[in-house]
Amino acid sequence: MSQNESTIDSESESLITTDVQPDTTAESASSATTIVETEQLNVYYGDDQALDDVSIAIPENQVTALIGPSGCGKSTFLRCLNRMNDLIDIARIDGTVTLRGIDIYDDAVDPVALRRKIGMVFQKPNPFPKSIYDNVAYGLKVQGKEITDERIEEALRSAALWDEVKDQLDQSGLELSGGQQQRLCIARAIAPDPDIVLMDEPTSALDPVAASKIEDLIDELVEDYTVIIVTHNMQQAARISDQTAVFLTGGELVEYDDTTTIFENPADDRVEDYITGKFG
Amino acid sequence: MSDDAVTSDLTRSNGFTRIKESGYGGVFLACAAVTLLTTVAIIVTLLSDALVFFSEVPLTEFLLGTDWSPNPRGRGFSFGIVPLVIGTLTVTVTAAFIALPVGTLTAIYLSEYATSQVRAILKPLLEILAGVPTVVYGYFALVYVTPALQATIFPQLGTFNALSASLMIGIMTIPMVSSISEDAMSAVPDSLRQAGYGLGATKYEVSTSVVVPASLSGIISSYILAISRAIGETMIVVVAMGSQANMPPIRETLLGIPYINPGDVLFESGMTITVSMIQIAGGDLTGGTLPYDSMFALGLTLFVITLIMNVLSDLIAQRYREAY
Amino acid sequence: MAVETDTDTGFGEVSRLRGTVFEYLSLGASVVGLFALAALLIYVFVDAFGLSTASPAWLLTYFLTLVVPYIGFCLYSISDRAFTRKIALALGGGLVVTAVGFTAIETLLVSIPGLTWQIAYLFLVATPVVASVTFVASRQPLGAAGFGLVGRLVGGAALGCAVAIMFIVIDRPLWFLVYTFGVLPAGGVYAYTSRREIGWPTAQATLVGLFGLGVSTQLRQILGIYPSDGLIYLWTLAVPLAAGAAALVTLRDGSRRAVAGVAVTTLLGGGGGFVLGSSALPTGSGVIIGAATVAATAVYLVEAVDNEGRRGLLLPLLIAGGALAGAAVVQTVGIPTPEMWLTPAYLTSAPSNEAANAGLYPAVVGSIIIIAMVAVLSFVLGVGAAVFLEEYAADTGLVGRLTRLIQINIANLAAVPSVVYGLLGLGLFANLLGFGFGTAVTAALTLSLLILPITVISAQEAVRSVPDDLRQGSYAMGATRWQTVKNVVLPEAMPGMLTGTILALGRAIGETAPLIMIGAATTVFSAPAGIWSRFSAMPMQIYAWANYPQAEFRYGVVAAGVVTLLIVLLAMNGTAIIIRNRMEREH
Repeated sequence: MSQNESTIDSESESLITTDVQPDTTAESASSATTIVETEQLNVYYGDDQALDDVSIAIPENQVTALIGPSGCGKSTFLRCLNRMNDLIDIARIDGTVTLRGIDIYDDAVDPVALRRKIGMVFQKPNPFPKSIYDNVAYGLKVQGKEITDERIEEALRSAALWDEVKDQLDQSGLELSGGQQQRLCIARAIAPDPDIVLMDEPTSALDPVAASKIEDLIDELVEDYTVIIVTHNMQQAARISDQTAVFLTGGELVEYDDTTTIFENPADDRVEDYITGKFG
Repeated sequence: MSDDAVTSDLTRSNGFTRIKESGYGGVFLACAAVTLLTTVAIIVTLLSDALVFFSEVPLTEFLLGTDWSPNPRGRGFSFGIVPLVIGTLTVTVTAAFIALPVGTLTAIYLSEYATSQVRAILKPLLEILAGVPTVVYGYFALVYVTPALQATIFPQLGTFNALSASLMIGIMTIPMVSSISEDAMSAVPDSLRQAGYGLGATKYEVSTSVVVPASLSGIISSYILAISRAIGETMIVVVAMGSQANMPPIRETLLGIPYINPGDVLFESGMTITVSMIQIAGGDLTGGTLPYDSMFALGLTLFVITLIMNVLSDLIAQRYREAY
Repeated sequence: MAVETDTDTGFGEVSRLRGTVFEYLSLGASVVGLFALAALLIYVFVDAFGLSTASPAWLLTYFLTLVVPYIGFCLYSISDRAFTRKIALALGGGLVVTAVGFTAIETLLVSIPGLTWQIAYLFLVATPVVASVTFVASRQPLGAAGFGLVGRLVGGAALGCAVAIMFIVIDRPLWFLVYTFGVLPAGGVYAYTSRREIGWPTAQATLVGLFGLGVSTQLRQILGIYPSDGLIYLWTLAVPLAAGAAALVTLRDGSRRAVAGVAVTTLLGGGGGFVLGSSALPTGSGVIIGAATVAATAVYLVEAVDNEGRRGLLLPLLIAGGALAGAAVVQTVGIPTPEMWLTPAYLTSAPSNEAANAGLYPAVVGSIIIIAMVAVLSFVLGVGAAVFLEEYAADTGLVGRLTRLIQINIANLAAVPSVVYGLLGLGLFANLLGFGFGTAVTAALTLSLLILPITVISAQEAVRSVPDDLRQGSYAMGATRWQTVKNVVLPEAMPGMLTGTILALGRAIGETAPLIMIGAATTVFSAPAGIWSRFSAMPMQIYAWANYPQAEFRYGVVAAGVVTLLIVLLAMNGTAIIIRNRMEREH
């Protein structure tokens, strides 16, 4: 616990950023194969800057957690990875994002094709007003993949939902409880077998029991998928993630390292303040 | 997965899906473009025939002439719009005398006094007033309202008269005034009302001296829309007001100031711009004749008036939207 | 500031007099228009049904056999003692108040023309009471079941009539060929290929359909002999209707017997209509009316017989029984019946210069045909434009500017007087494009453009109300824009778009001025033979008759026409409201 009451002024901020970033990027990249990498990523919504020079390398088949106070740009960052920001007219993106070495903002890249390789789960469960079966089959359908009962079952099993819904696949997805809906959304996201699953605060709208089920699920998912999860819940990040990136206000990536390092021995004072609850 | 595979996976698909995507986008764009084309078509249609008309009849004669007789029985053509404008003004002003105060009071009641339950019942009911076909209103005016007025207050009323038609137009345009005005009044922030109450004002004082002034631009914009609707109203007038394009006698006061007695225009048959169009359409539609072209000149006049009023109302309404 | 008066409290008291007067004044203003309209409606109903000539005994008979049992049914399904007492009090008290009040006014002040206290009671007390008990009872299982069944019967019959009327203007032999060689094979191909996932089902089915269409048009030139209209209707309408009804029941977990039952009864309904059709109805029309009525009812009954309110299903019998009983009493006792103007004969006969023979049939047919075309055109255009403006348009750049222009333009179009649209129709469709003066096509195109701003705006609202997280979910799954629109946005927005379109159609069906401008006939004596022939419409006929000086026309024939038009409007708006309420209940 740091007793150091630091009010953060802009001078110290820029100092710390410059000496932290280079070594964290290097360290993470060395631990596993990098699947997604960003360099000097800047995002603007009109005149507001939402991300400020974010450079990060995210390893494959691990859980990477993005934490930080609200409005710090962590969701924006997540949405850059599957180009969901393209849907916002005023969003402007600067810098590079590579998926397995390919620049996904290259003119030749089709954002729709990109999203087919990257599943996404949202903060509020958003199943379509269709049957459970059709919800899971949605990705297969729009991506032109074959829809078989086996694949649906497999996806629902992977999302730990099969046993609860196997007799009511024709029922509307909206009739499920909130936690079940979120697991249905996870099943929907993984049914087309993406490379990466993005999760944007997937448990924040759920009760603790439902949330812990999702956490257990993430543990299992990581065997097959790379999971990048935004959370405002630091305990959750500590429990489930292998890597943790801390964003602070202004869209700045302050520190990125092994989760244990971040939580036990952060290099940056502001990260320590944030983790101990003094900030944000 | 090799890099090559990823590259080919992510590159834009050419061919069928791509064509399909832009094809659907094009279809939707075309649908939206129909609305633009409609405006263009209206303007072109009106202008092309109106220009022919104005090459025959000078604009000054059209705007200042006091005789309207497009049917060449007897004296030959005469295209002076003034009697039509007088008829239109009579109807519009009389209708406004009903719709504007009643609509404003309705809006105040709905926004300031009514409970949410009463509002939920009253608002859709009021919309019915605007939903009744206008030919039905015209029929009501002709066979029920006029005889009732003749039997009670105005025995001198003609079978076809401007008064009953105006009454019906007034009733029909009430919801137009009330719904837009009520929107404007509901948009007034509660803090303003609280400030009024804080100064010891009664509900009446808050309504009339805080809410109404604060939403004035919205109220005025609703007035303009309602008046514009009354100007363009056709069937009520056609059925109930008849089709006599009369110039009312110009009287003079003792001091020599000319005036028109309201009774001369209200109690008698008259003709509006819209009615004269209907009357000509009842006769000759094949085109190429002067009466035919005069319809388009009248239509153009009507279109320009309503367009100006609509733009004006929009500009005024924007003020209150910006304010809160 | 209000006047202050000193009292003992020391605070003084602020006079509320002006405020109270103002509140009541504004309340009065809110209802004055409604009261005026209500009074006019009462008069037109009285005239249309000739109620001023009805004897008190006649009114009493039907009141006792029809109205009282109906109210009893509603109260029974509500089964709330306090409510029942209130209703009884309203009915009884209202009777005394109306009788005394009406007589007092007539003797002391002025005589009220055309009304008696019994009629006043009917409209001022009985009608509101019936409306309120209906509203409350429709929320109870028993009442809901009963009204549901009545709704299906009436709705099915109305839909059947509308379809039958639309087929008047269609070349029935050609339709028979197109259905047999185009529609049916295309449907089969689509069903087969999409189940087996072979190729592109839509494209293949379209190809087959187009081929069938070509073959049919060729065959139509050659073939000379066709089945009778009744058989064509049975084969092309009643059979698919039965299949559709059966499929619907299957979807709702129907047993095999239920499915077969629905299919068979629907066909029987069509057959029954066929038999009836040869005697009472125009040839063939009976088939589709019968089949539609029975199909709607049967599909509903399969579910409703298991629901808790199933005794409510007897309501149609109660009503029919009441009407028959009333007629029997009137007949046996010899009570004089009023001279009604709005009768079945009025709706099925042609206009005439004699009031007693005058009918609205050609105008009704014209209205329905135009509205059907307007419905298709304005729905497609409205939805397409709304989807572009809400889903495809951008805020910035060239497209953004175009979008803003379109948006402003739509608002301005909505304010253009309808008579100007008439000029557009006249100049563009009738004269320039040569679609003809007063043809149904010209009218439909003109009216479609007239209501387009309303349909676009309401469809936009419906699209906007689709939650954004559903769109996000779809895009995140790698769906393209069109896939998202097709699979997520349109299904969710559909009820709202339908509601908006139906309300806009209500505006179109009453429009008169544009029809006059394009040269629509005020009076035609036979139903239009095709969409290119001249037609009249209900409002046109009302306009024409309103100029007749005879009292039988003014207060009889026209009143009946006005009431018909208003009932059609009410039915359309009612349908729209029911769709909207359904939608709200689902969310």
